[in-house]
Amino acid sequence: MSRQSTGYWFILPALVVLAMLIAYPVAYTGLLSVTDSQSNFVGVKNFATVLRSRATPQAFWNTLYWVGGSIIFQVLLGTATAILLNQSFPGRSIVRSVALIPWVIPSIVAATTFAWMFHTEFGIINYMMTAPGLIEQPIGWLTNRDTVMPVLIAINVWKLFPFVAVMVLAGLQSIPKELYEAARVDGANFWEEVRHIMLPQVRPVLVAVTLLLVIWGLNSITIIYAITRGGPANSTLITPIQIFRIAFENVQFNQAAALSVMFFAVAILIVFFYIKALAAAPGEAR
Amino acid sequence: MRIRTMMQGCFLQGGEKMKKSKRSGVLLAASMLALSAGNCLAGDVIWWTPNWGEARARDLADKFMKANPDTKIKIEVTTSDGLPQRVLTTLQSGAAPDLIEVQHGWVNGYAQNNLVIPLDDTLQDRGDYVPAALDYVTWNGKLWAIPYRIETLAVIYNKGHFKEAGLDPEKPPQTWDEFVKTATALTRGGRFGFAVTGGGEVGNTIFRSLPFIWMNGGDIISKDAKTALINKPEAVEAVKFYTDFYKKKISPTSTLENDGIANRRLFIAEKVSMYQAGQFDLASILKENSKIDIGVMQIPHPQGKNTAAILGGWSFIVPKSAKNPTETKKFIQFLNTPENQGYFTDTFPARVSSMKLPRFDEPILAGYKAMLPYGRPAPSHKNWVQITQAYFNNVQGIMLGKEEPQEAMDNAADDIQSLLDE
Repeated sequence: MSRQSTGYWFILPALVVLAMLIAYPVAYTGLLSVTDSQSNFVGVKNFATVLRSRATPQAFWNTLYWVGGSIIFQVLLGTATAILLNQSFPGRSIVRSVALIPWVIPSIVAATTFAWMFHTEFGIINYMMTAPGLIEQPIGWLTNRDTVMPVLIAINVWKLFPFVAVMVLAGLQSIPKELYEAARVDGANFWEEVRHIMLPQVRPVLVAVTLLLVIWGLNSITIIYAITRGGPANSTLITPIQIFRIAFENVQFNQAAALSVMFFAVAILIVFFYIKALAAAPGEAR
Repeated sequence: MRIRTMMQGCFLQGGEKMKKSKRSGVLLAASMLALSAGNCLAGDVIWWTPNWGEARARDLADKFMKANPDTKIKIEVTTSDGLPQRVLTTLQSGAAPDLIEVQHGWVNGYAQNNLVIPLDDTLQDRGDYVPAALDYVTWNGKLWAIPYRIETLAVIYNKGHFKEAGLDPEKPPQTWDEFVKTATALTRGGRFGFAVTGGGEVGNTIFRSLPFIWMNGGDIISKDAKTALINKPEAVEAVKFYTDFYKKKISPTSTLENDGIANRRLFIAEKVSMYQAGQFDLASILKENSKIDIGVMQIPHPQGKNTAAILGGWSFIVPKSAKNPTETKKFIQFLNTPENQGYFTDTFPARVSSMKLPRFDEPILAGYKAMLPYGRPAPSHKNWVQITQAYFNNVQGIMLGKEEPQEAMDNAADDIQSLLDE
């Protein structure tokens, strides 16, 4: 009995730190969302105000577009890269390290560099396309509402696919050689190996990585904010940027808290269904 | 012993403040930190000053300390990037410095939220200040900041390009019609006549487009801040005038990603012949491309009407939680003698008598001096930032071709009206 209570004393410091760093901010956000700037209780008024704003639904759909678009290509490209890097060919270790570069570059550096590369007047991308006559007029990559989101998604994919590649590569290397040998005895070719050995074996890795990507995608501000600030005309406004704007540009901490609470709920739901649907699929090796 | 009682005094003071405040949790931590850092010693004035004036600030602080050996001025240098957020955080934390420099436009919000102290007793020679600058920082009949720097935008142009296009660089356009004609004539050989902004921070586009609305007799919101006026004909006409530069391809293709700095770069690269800018741009143009023969003109106005501009600039505020308001006020008075203010400002001083200093007599500043009398304070409302955001989104909407000016400004008026009604 006394031994048990001694144990609690040992974890107490960690609990206090956790409470300060996690429980307090979460509870405080909840409190902010139902009060006004003078700390008077106002019920759901902040929620109503935020939901009435024209930007809120737009930001919601943009967020789905941004997260969904990013993840599909990050996972596809990352897995393909991992399978490639898992083959033996000369110079493999150099290619492996080079492939990591986007992942180690700080997001803000990448964003600023890409903003300049895609700039309509000064950008190297327009220069490379106009010089040999591929296009006549420079394209406003970041100012045309049809191209701006795909461009941002491409940058995000470039930034994060190496992470997927590294994780999947680690998974691939833990596959026992016997499986390949058995498959070859049965006359399987490379594509059949990919389909029937590699992908099923790395499935748990893919599930975990995708989940991480969903969470990061939902929280990502840096790339979009540094490049377009959610513009032009809100066409790249995602909910985290909207929260940031409301809180730190408009100084409406209570409305920002209300939107955060709703966003938190939606994010939890998405993650919950994702885990239910994918992680618990029966009959897979774990 | 003396130090000990002083520390106790500080504790008591802090404790009372905490009781008054409702966000005591945050404040408690913040003020404990402030106390432990020893900010509470008498005679120290902590001054947040922006980096562009650092050398002059140190110079003035040294002079003041020589004359007042009991007071120590501690300088902390700030940058304009993210400054509004930083100032607001420190004001709300209850552990603010004693003296901060902020833009005129931010002051009203601080006053309404009870974050700064009134400075009527600190201002000397009220009659010597430009009235519009004082109006800016007055709320509820009290003065909440001391303005020391004022400025407006004007149009900077490339005289060489005027000659190439067969125009007289000494006779820049004055009316809107002439302006469009000139800009169209200057748009040749991959060059654009007049660059407007459509990207970056909202403020860039407000500072450049709102004067066009004003000179046409319109406004974004009414004087009493109760009605949105942005979809009235005068305003819509001006917004159309502004966005047409882009839609008629007289303004660069990259307009929607350009802020004031991007326009300056385009001007330095000689891709743009005219753009709106403050006098602070002159130095960097001269430094980076001294071949350009720079001209400065008043912002063109509609036929038979006056030009207009937003009066910009900076003020001193004293936070409510300042530790040494008395010394700070004394220091502010020192900083704002006609001579010191004229020395410290980056652009023009807020005092009329400071303007007589020789540094403001340079011929290239004449265009800016001529704009000053037409400078007006930007409107003020507690939701002003969101109002400008709603306006800006719809200006971008016009440029993107999503909507026509009237339709876009009707949408903006809807959003703005609900922000005014809150």
